[in-house]
Amino acid sequence: MAALRTPTSRILLSSIRPARSSIAIRSYATVELNPIRKVGEAMSATQPPVSEKHTPTIQEPTKSEKAKTKTFHVYRWSPDTPTEKPKMQSYTLDLNKTGPMVLDALIRIKNEVDPTLTFRRSCREGICGSCAMNIDGVNTLACLCRIPTDTTHQTRIYPLPHTYVVKDLVPDLTQFYKQYKSIQPFLQRTTPSPDGRETRQSPADRKKLDGLYECILCACCSTSCPSYWWNSEQYLGPAVLLQSYRWLADSRDERKEERKAMLDNSMSLYRCHTILNCSRTCPKGLNPGKAIAEIKKSMAF
Amino acid sequence: MASVLRPAAISRQTCSLVSNRTALLQQASRTRFSETLRTSYLLRESRCLSTTQRKSPSRIPSNDPVAAPFHTSARRQILPPGPQVIEGGVNDPAPVPPTSPTHGSYHWVFERAMSAALIPLTIAPFAAGSLNPVMDALLCAGIIIHSHIGFQSSIIDYVPDKRLPKTRAFFWWALRAATVVVAIGFFEFETNDVGLTEAIKKIWTAKRKEDSYVEPVLRGVA
Repeated sequence: MAALRTPTSRILLSSIRPARSSIAIRSYATVELNPIRKVGEAMSATQPPVSEKHTPTIQEPTKSEKAKTKTFHVYRWSPDTPTEKPKMQSYTLDLNKTGPMVLDALIRIKNEVDPTLTFRRSCREGICGSCAMNIDGVNTLACLCRIPTDTTHQTRIYPLPHTYVVKDLVPDLTQFYKQYKSIQPFLQRTTPSPDGRETRQSPADRKKLDGLYECILCACCSTSCPSYWWNSEQYLGPAVLLQSYRWLADSRDERKEERKAMLDNSMSLYRCHTILNCSRTCPKGLNPGKAIAEIKKSMAF
Repeated sequence: MASVLRPAAISRQTCSLVSNRTALLQQASRTRFSETLRTSYLLRESRCLSTTQRKSPSRIPSNDPVAAPFHTSARRQILPPGPQVIEGGVNDPAPVPPTSPTHGSYHWVFERAMSAALIPLTIAPFAAGSLNPVMDALLCAGIIIHSHIGFQSSIIDYVPDKRLPKTRAFFWWALRAATVVVAIGFFEFETNDVGLTEAIKKIWTAKRKEDSYVEPVLRGVA
């Protein structure tokens, strides 16, 4: 892989694929001693992207007669050019040659049309939570979101809202993971199990964890929550609170009071105003709103 | 202000105005306007023409704004998001605030209990059909506390303490002042006037059509 990054191989690669458009040729990111990151962040965070009306549309690479052409508008911003405004780039794809999901469309764009398009993806089946993005105004996993077959409807893809954008559709989830770490998401008990073997749980107790353990931490719910938009520094957000409840509901955990005490302040839990965007948007069909309500109930006397 | 900043611009503006007006006037004078009025406008028009002749019109860009704006900077958002700040290391857990049930669980229970209590307090006087000053006072107190907590919550949500500590303090004390003023107002209304329930009763009357226009609804209140 390191060999690929040498200048010679780059020249070779570019000579192999001469037909690629100028947008596709990507200069490699360089580490500067005095980064202009601040400018870039300010630009990307405060300004709405340039409308797709002002950017060229990249067409389907292999056109056919019975093409079912659909337009995708994708949010683009590159840290390599931090002073440039973010923009909406339009791509047209033939749906007959594209898989059924939005992630398939994105992968096809990256493979065949524009390799500079950046997004996270891994499992392509809704288990890893990497490809969370805002598709047609709804936070969801691109791998679980079908492409609407209505070709007159143009799909718009943005990164998760109110996140700092690393590049294109890749949001910075550092704060999200730090908050997840702060709730101590692991089993804590001091008493050993009676028979010295594994700590057992009754089927009824295990059933309490259904709807909680399935969460894949894709951050769709947290980034759809207006309360989390305004106070993400202090409010934990639905995803992390659902995980918190997962350990509060666990019959084997012995540090429930300490866990509750960590949430018992103005900001961590009680910035939830039951807006319930979280439950509506969850691509796994979980109900973070209910979990938060259960925490509130258990903490009220 | 614009004239102070850009005299040329304002003269151009009057020029265009005058020429418009003269065109109108010329049209109108054919019917009824006096000749003198028309000549005075024409004089001003000629002066206008002389200024434009001094400054060649080709040098004036067409998209040059006529009145210069007061600000030269770009449009500013109310509270634009700043650069990303990570407290501690990337792998450290986010800091956990100190436990304080008075701002946490107790506060939440009190808030919910207050909201729930307001429902019977609102309905009871009308359902019972009788007016009790104690019930009225309770309703007033409930409304004040409920709205105070509600506004407090809004301030916590929308005025971040870390980023805008002074604005937060301002809003915090403004809310307290407003609550005190409203409390005094309710006290005055309860002691020296008919009281809240009676006032609502008088306002909220379904009168017949001919009555509602003839007599003022609020006559009994004052």
